Amino acid sequence: MPVSGIVVRCLDGCADAVSARIAAIDGVEVHGVSPDGQIVAVIEADTVQGEVDLVSHLHDVEDVVTVRLAYHNFEDI
Amino acid sequence: MEVSRRDFLKATAAAAAFAAAGGAVLKPKLAEAAEGGIKWGKAPCRFCGTGCGVLVGVKDGKVVATKGDPAAPVNKGLNCIKGYFLAKILYGKDRLTKPLIRKGNKMVEASWDEAMTLIAGKFKESIEKHGPDSVAIYGSGQWTVFEGYAASKLFKGGIGTNNIEPNARLCMASAVTGFMTTFASDEPMGVYDDLDLGDTYFLWGANMAECHPVLFSRMIDNRLKNPKVKIIDFGTRRTRTSQMADTYIRFNPQTDLALLNAIAHVIVKEKLYDEKFIQSHVVFKKGKTNIGYGLEDKFKFVDEPKPMTFDEYKDFLKTYTPEYASKLSGVPTATIVEMARLYADKNRKVNSLWTMGFNQHTRGTWVNNLVYNVHLLTGKICRPGENPMSLTGQPSACGTAREVGTFTHRLPADMVVTDPEHRAKAEKIWGIPAGKIPAKPTYNATEMFRALDRGDIKVIWTQVTNPFQSLPNLNRYRKGARKGDGRFVIVSDMYPTKSTEVADVILPSASWVEKEGVFGNAERRTQQWFKMVDPPGEAKNDLWQTIELAKRLGHGNLFPYKYVEKEMWEEYRKFGEGQGKDMAPYEAYAKARGLRWPVVNGKETLYRYAEGHDPYVKKGEGIKFYKNKKDGGKAVIWARPYEPAPEVPDKSYPFWLCTGRVLEHWHTGTMTGRVPELKRAYPAAVCEMHPDDAKKLGIKNLQKVKVSSRRGTIILPVDLNGRGKAEKGNIFVAFFDENKLINELCIDAYCPISGEPDYKKCAVKVEKA
Repeated sequence: MPVSGIVVRCLDGCADAVSARIAAIDGVEVHGVSPDGQIVAVIEADTVQGEVDLVSHLHDVEDVVTVRLAYHNFEDI
Repeated sequence: MEVSRRDFLKATAAAAAFAAAGGAVLKPKLAEAAEGGIKWGKAPCRFCGTGCGVLVGVKDGKVVATKGDPAAPVNKGLNCIKGYFLAKILYGKDRLTKPLIRKGNKMVEASWDEAMTLIAGKFKESIEKHGPDSVAIYGSGQWTVFEGYAASKLFKGGIGTNNIEPNARLCMASAVTGFMTTFASDEPMGVYDDLDLGDTYFLWGANMAECHPVLFSRMIDNRLKNPKVKIIDFGTRRTRTSQMADTYIRFNPQTDLALLNAIAHVIVKEKLYDEKFIQSHVVFKKGKTNIGYGLEDKFKFVDEPKPMTFDEYKDFLKTYTPEYASKLSGVPTATIVEMARLYADKNRKVNSLWTMGFNQHTRGTWVNNLVYNVHLLTGKICRPGENPMSLTGQPSACGTAREVGTFTHRLPADMVVTDPEHRAKAEKIWGIPAGKIPAKPTYNATEMFRALDRGDIKVIWTQVTNPFQSLPNLNRYRKGARKGDGRFVIVSDMYPTKSTEVADVILPSASWVEKEGVFGNAERRTQQWFKMVDPPGEAKNDLWQTIELAKRLGHGNLFPYKYVEKEMWEEYRKFGEGQGKDMAPYEAYAKARGLRWPVVNGKETLYRYAEGHDPYVKKGEGIKFYKNKKDGGKAVIWARPYEPAPEVPDKSYPFWLCTGRVLEHWHTGTMTGRVPELKRAYPAAVCEMHPDDAKKLGIKNLQKVKVSSRRGTIILPVDLNGRGKAEKGNIFVAFFDENKLINELCIDAYCPISGEPDYKKCAVKVEKA
């Protein structure tokens, strides 16, 4: 099962609200917020495509500005 | 407590994300444990022209992980969503692993020797019977520098034909001719640092949020830190970029020409220009008008530049009142005036950014010229944080197509085959007899496939690209390829594509970190990587394939290298030395996360033409466009008029069709769409349409429609609530979907100067299917 670490940038002052919104999504685990308000999360899905679907979905979550990928491990696929 | 391997991996993922977000590294020990056995190497990303740095993790001969490279200045540890596809591109289930030869309607496995013998035989036969211009190679902005260089050297210097083109002709040829006509030197003066340092960004027909997400993020990060930052999105379609911009300005297709002239009009009328800058650094010129659209086979055009004075240029601009441009474009007069003032505001650092909206345009060269005009009038150029920047879509459109010069008319380092001195220099470096390189360019990409259709080209080899999905007016060229009568199509690729469908021989290729390579990105950054894993089965590097053909054609002497990549690099960089196109020795790139040329005395150049940054500009010169020797080191402001598109909506075909990319797919989808049954996020192409237009036609969301142009028809669902929103009278369809060949509808009209087709404008009708 692939695992990835992502960084979510949201509108100013929305980090807590967005954290809550995305933490509610199955397969997304919020690990914290950086000093300048970027959300760090871990994505898990059965397939790489599943990860892409999740991240694609995150782009459409309210107040999310960008979603970027920091780390991707897919040795189990 | 026992910590599972899965927890290790998750901790590692989180730690990397924290580090990239600028936070503290979390649980470094756990992270280290999880990474046991993974060996990391650096490479630029395989996808777009941004050139993000990726760390590639290899274990047991397989790529098992990737990281945004924290040491890479382009992306500082973060990749976009396409980073996920790096995992998929190498290990798709249908990878081509053996050469295949057509036997009737079947493709039959063959050995490399069998395939190469057949190919060489076809080349020899065609050259003997029909001359060297009957064979061709069609490559790509995804060619590594070595692959492009070897192809150019073999075809121009060995076989003796200029029948070489890259798919970059379909992608940024207008940017090239824009740079060449304005500055006499290709590629931008500025760098990505301008995204961090500027405060005003005009985007012209560029959906950066989806197509260049990492660069877009840099700009957004800048805005979050600096409330002064403004992003203005000029577009014909409302996109994710428009949502994030401070201002979205909708304009009618093709009227960017009028808008930019109107902006210049206001700047001149209100005397907002930088008089001193203009006097010192600018000349004025005009060229031919009513220049045609390249719709006829063998279309030829040569511009006739004529000098003009600033006053004559001012006269030219008189037509382009904001009112006139407003009528054409649909942009309110007051907005045009406001935008002109914003461009000229002395307290603002202004940048313009564009990609395919400008380049895929039947007046693509002109519209590139016109945006430079505005920067040259206001003197907002060659300074940190204020520059015009043409973005690119492929990882080495700059490095290979442009710098190596894999176009029919080009040689490395901006040289051209039409110049006897340039040919002589190339012949000397290549060690070939004088007069070997033909003086006449042959075909641009569209004309190349027209020549195949007519039968003037018999044998064509395509590498790292998918023309039989990506060409405009596709039906003609797909049929042309299978007309027989001596035509022979060779396709090198890693996966079956719409192009392998029409091939006589399919060669399995190595990709990305399965070979050693160099790419050059949009900010002049040259990036090298080493081979990290073996390609699957019998797949081989395209570089090896080209050299193998050379040997079998008796041109093996052109490639006398032991360490091919290193020695080829050292030969290649002789072209640019002392020409403002200097590259560093090969070893330097093995260490650096890329270097931006010109690299002189080991130092890269951030701002070209600017004293203190560019080593070619002498002390006291300030700014010097030194490559434009014929105009005394000055740049050119061009009087280029508005002219309409070749095909505009009418009663029978009332909609504009625009094509393009979406976030989750890249180009023709051969690498991003590898697992068909799982393509959920953006599974198939849809027709974006304005709800009012749909209502008028009685079409409901997701209902199937038939979209037709004068050239073709496809059926696909309508999307009224998509991420992108079509404006009234316009529809948008992405071109990644090989089951919905939208390019069959596109017109094969092109910019007469650049030869680049317009995929953004043709007339279509929409009916219920």
